[in-house]
Amino acid sequence: MSSADGAAAAIQPALIVHGGAVSAASYASDARRKAVNAAALAGWEILQGNGSALDAAEAAVRSMEDNPVLEAGTGCMLNELGQVELDAAIMHGRTLECGAVAGVANVKNPISLARKVMEKTSHCLIVGRGANVFADRQGIATVPLEELVSESALKEFRALNGNYQNGCNDFFNPRTVEEAHDTVGAVAIDKHGDMVAATSTGGNAAKLVGRVGDSPLVGVGLYSDNSTGCVSCTGHGESIIKVHLASRISMYMEEGISPDEATRKALLYMQERTGYGAGAIAMDKEGKVGINFTTKYMAWAYITEGKLQHGMLHKESFTEIA
Amino acid sequence: MPGAVVLVHGGAGKIPKANNDVDNQARLYGVKSAATAAYEALLAGASAVDAAETAVRCLEDFPVFNAGVGSRLNLAGEVEMDAAIMDGRGLRAGAVGAVKNVKNPVSLARKIMDLTPHVLLVGEGASQFAQESGVQLVPMQELITEKSRRALAQVKSLPFGIDPKAEEEEEEHGTVGAAVMDTAGNLATSISTGGISGKHVGRVGDSPIIGGGIYCDNMVGAAVATGQGESIIRTCLANNIIQLMSTGMAPQQAGDSALETMRQRVSGLAGVIVLDRHGNSGICCNTGHMSWAQLKDNELSWGLSAG
Repeated sequence: MSSADGAAAAIQPALIVHGGAVSAASYASDARRKAVNAAALAGWEILQGNGSALDAAEAAVRSMEDNPVLEAGTGCMLNELGQVELDAAIMHGRTLECGAVAGVANVKNPISLARKVMEKTSHCLIVGRGANVFADRQGIATVPLEELVSESALKEFRALNGNYQNGCNDFFNPRTVEEAHDTVGAVAIDKHGDMVAATSTGGNAAKLVGRVGDSPLVGVGLYSDNSTGCVSCTGHGESIIKVHLASRISMYMEEGISPDEATRKALLYMQERTGYGAGAIAMDKEGKVGINFTTKYMAWAYITEGKLQHGMLHKESFTEIA
Repeated sequence: MPGAVVLVHGGAGKIPKANNDVDNQARLYGVKSAATAAYEALLAGASAVDAAETAVRCLEDFPVFNAGVGSRLNLAGEVEMDAAIMDGRGLRAGAVGAVKNVKNPVSLARKIMDLTPHVLLVGEGASQFAQESGVQLVPMQELITEKSRRALAQVKSLPFGIDPKAEEEEEEHGTVGAAVMDTAGNLATSISTGGISGKHVGRVGDSPIIGGGIYCDNMVGAAVATGQGESIIRTCLANNIIQLMSTGMAPQQAGDSALETMRQRVSGLAGVIVLDRHGNSGICCNTGHMSWAQLKDNELSWGLSAG
């Protein structure tokens, strides 16, 4: 990036987070707004201290994993056998390096484990028991199930009684239902222009054991490439997979489409091809942002020098001084 | 109406150092048999999905390929397999990652697509579903070959363990796959692999990542990849090819272009077979070696390097 006098213009660090995209009424709580704002501030603290996009994105997602209000890490949903299985991924836009875990049991911060996969192995994705073996070797402790599972998740598990499809139809399409849950994610750009995308989830209630959605799949639930932009998605996992949502948004940005238009266009495409809703956050290399969703709600927060913007309903955006 | 087309590959890698003719003949025999079985099924009225499954089942059953029987071993000496299948109608897909004891992982992927609301199952969950779904289960020993054991021993003897680019180096190559168009013009793709020798337990590569190693859309085309898995994931190889075809680029050019982009961005090498919605094909490979066979208009063609 150059300014008119030929000197390189300073890149403005920025961060966007989302706390899931769903249509269920009970999702829309003040606690959820506070949770994403807190996550944005956690990531911003690092960027402000000249920290990396990698550290900032991880910190933002850890904040959401630790918050029981959101459904990643602590507060996650249970699979059909009442177990916890977590997915997470992180991707670095400079090198296209990535790390992901799926179906990992009882780890408090799967996003940090995903980062270890990226930094300590030559692999991109480690699943199941292998992921837990890897966690042990990295000195990442397993926590008891009770520490991760909330009352509402248990209630949801009993109510659904193993009916995953009913859950999906209710949660991702505009109909009123009692409970809601989803993926969390973040995209960040630091002063070096490095962009990172990160996602984390406990998946959908009553899913089959071993079911993996979009979150840990590079090009599907997240993507980051310094030459184009960074993207994190949330919504109906299987449908996001079918339209490879994150790389679709990235490809539109590569064609010169703004992040706002790219996310909008990709989400509409997904709705047309699959009938399901989702949400996405994206930033391009110039720091332009896109925050869109075709579900009823997506809690989001965008923070950069001087301001914190946030919202949860369509056409809603509050701005505060950061 | 374009008519039936079957394209299969038996894995991409560097030209085998010993240029082992016995193995090359076995690979050619395998891909030709798989293509023929799939094509005959199409002419008898099978769907593209049926034929894609049939082709890869054949390849999984041949021990010379790194899929099903003959799968490479993880660091613990076990067979953990990845596979996927995608139906160009409605973007339906099914996939498995790190599944054990299943004779034909591509058939398990199909069960996931047809019988569950999910796309991807991994690990223990995939194995549990395998038991419930009625696919054939086998003791792990039945999938392990002497070649796979030797390949693991060789990796373990290296000072720094596996090299992410080793998949290209191996004399025995990677993933198998098929891209099919049926007589109604529908597209389907399938893919299966045992992964890299000495991979970390639970490592999943590009094969079951929709948009990475495999993609299929009746409205545009189909692509199936083989080669260095992590590189394919990081650059979304199959997606790139589909995207290029959607702008009007021919399959061969789209495949070659996407492979070159991958090589430039992450230094990874791979092979890919491609079909567009008119039945035109592309057979692309920059690793030097990829066994493949194609059946179209009743003509069988085959080779050991890119067409």
